[in-house]
Amino acid sequence: MFDFLEPLFFLLLATGVIGAGIAVVALRRITAQALLMALSFASMAGMFLLLGAETIALFQVLIYVGAITILILFGVMFTKQDDRGYGLFFQQQTPWAAGLVVVVALPVIALAFTFKDPVTPSPKGGDLIPLAASLFTDYAFPFEVASVLLLAALVGAIVLVKRDEP
Amino acid sequence: MPIGPFGIDPVIWAVLRLVIAVGLTVFLVLNGALAQIFLERKIQAVMQDRLGPYHTGPYGLLQTFADAIKLIGKEDIRAKLTDAPFFLAAPAIVFSPMVASFVVLPFSSDFVGANLNVGLLYLTTLGSMTVLGIVIAGWASNNKYSLMGGLRSAGQLISYEVPQILGLVTVVLYVGSLSMVDITNSQPGLLVNVVILPMAFLTYCIAALAETNRNPFDLPEAESELVAGFLTEYSGMRWAIFFLSEYGEVTIVSAIMATLWFGGWHGPGVDAVPALGILWFTLKTYGFVLLFMWIRATLPRLRIDQLMGFCWKVLIPLALVNIMASATIILAFADPRLPLAIVNWLLVAALVVGLPFTQRRRLLKFRSRTGESVAMRDVRLSP
Repeated sequence: MFDFLEPLFFLLLATGVIGAGIAVVALRRITAQALLMALSFASMAGMFLLLGAETIALFQVLIYVGAITILILFGVMFTKQDDRGYGLFFQQQTPWAAGLVVVVALPVIALAFTFKDPVTPSPKGGDLIPLAASLFTDYAFPFEVASVLLLAALVGAIVLVKRDEP
Repeated sequence: MPIGPFGIDPVIWAVLRLVIAVGLTVFLVLNGALAQIFLERKIQAVMQDRLGPYHTGPYGLLQTFADAIKLIGKEDIRAKLTDAPFFLAAPAIVFSPMVASFVVLPFSSDFVGANLNVGLLYLTTLGSMTVLGIVIAGWASNNKYSLMGGLRSAGQLISYEVPQILGLVTVVLYVGSLSMVDITNSQPGLLVNVVILPMAFLTYCIAALAETNRNPFDLPEAESELVAGFLTEYSGMRWAIFFLSEYGEVTIVSAIMATLWFGGWHGPGVDAVPALGILWFTLKTYGFVLLFMWIRATLPRLRIDQLMGFCWKVLIPLALVNIMASATIILAFADPRLPLAIVNWLLVAALVVGLPFTQRRRLLKFRSRTGESVAMRDVRLSP
């Protein structure tokens, strides 16, 4: 009965991800860009929901919308806002960018049309325990490496902003 | 053809259920805010030896209704140089996650919007979206006070999110589930989680006070000193929506505390009449709402550096120690309740006893730096 809903939501979310992504690149107002990026991240979280990966969707919103967008807005608000074109620096590299996009996009498209997922979606939030188990057993080493990297970044940031003792 | 609940076609029921749920939530939020504003005025009045509102209606009961009508009837003012789309969107960005949070609150064993396996994570996620709305409100107002206020609030909210989540982690470790229903079911008797995990509760409670901008952490909207922060340019119903969200969030964090540490819907007579759970849940939730009002009437406002220092130097280290110790104990003991309780109560004692000592040391250091002559007996413990 509600079979039409899932493609409909997918269409909406895909428009959100791609449209907001294009707008982030094309627009000139940097706050609007940051917000549209949040929209793009949120639509991505919706995609994860459609795939039955609630935990990942929630982390996507928590980290990308709730933290990274805020950090970017902080960066924007603490820097000087002039009328200079922000895009100019990047727009000189259009041919290079197009080439890179092709290189990245072709394998993605190839994968998208050949990939078949044999796994049936789990019940509500059912991805939590498998996710945690694989994170702390199979992928424990990459997890630890990532956490050490983040810790190093944290210490580095503190050292950078630390005042010299008078 | 399948028949859904109440003999309604399941297709219609699915839509109807959504409409009823959203309507009920908005009703709860609006009435909760009215009730809380009235309670706040009356309770603060009692604590400060005043009468509070008493002209409009019996005991001033209609005063908040009158205020609501005034707010709705106010002229819609928007300064010319504000950033229109963001200025209009900001209240909605703050309000809608708060309404969505009500979905997973377990009012009683059979009155839960959705029993998500990741319910607690869902609440945390939606709580973190408020910051975005506040930063945007500050930015879009095109006003230096608002911008600084928005950034100050964002700094506060992001910082206190950390101890808030760390406080939840200990309970999740102990119960072994993120589902609000499972957490409630794990504490049916008198031995509720607050007896075993008081440090986690204290961490969460303090962080939640800061997250919902309540005193003594209400710097985001300090009307008297900081020109109301990000709210400077807002008036009328848009301003009211920010405050509706604040009262809604107070209700939600109170409900989380009632569920995680005080047994949620459990209470006398619930096994016989499950609907009684709604009453117990509401009473427990409003207990915390009243606690927040009590704190508001008692404590003065902190300064922003004291607020940040308390979060990063006191709350987060203690919460991390608590998580470390709790995880070890849960792995080491078959029945971890007694050791967990001992460690948690010791940490609470360390916080309560240690705070005056560190304050005294800081005060001495400050005085020696500013060149004031200090005699040890002169140093009073600042609260």
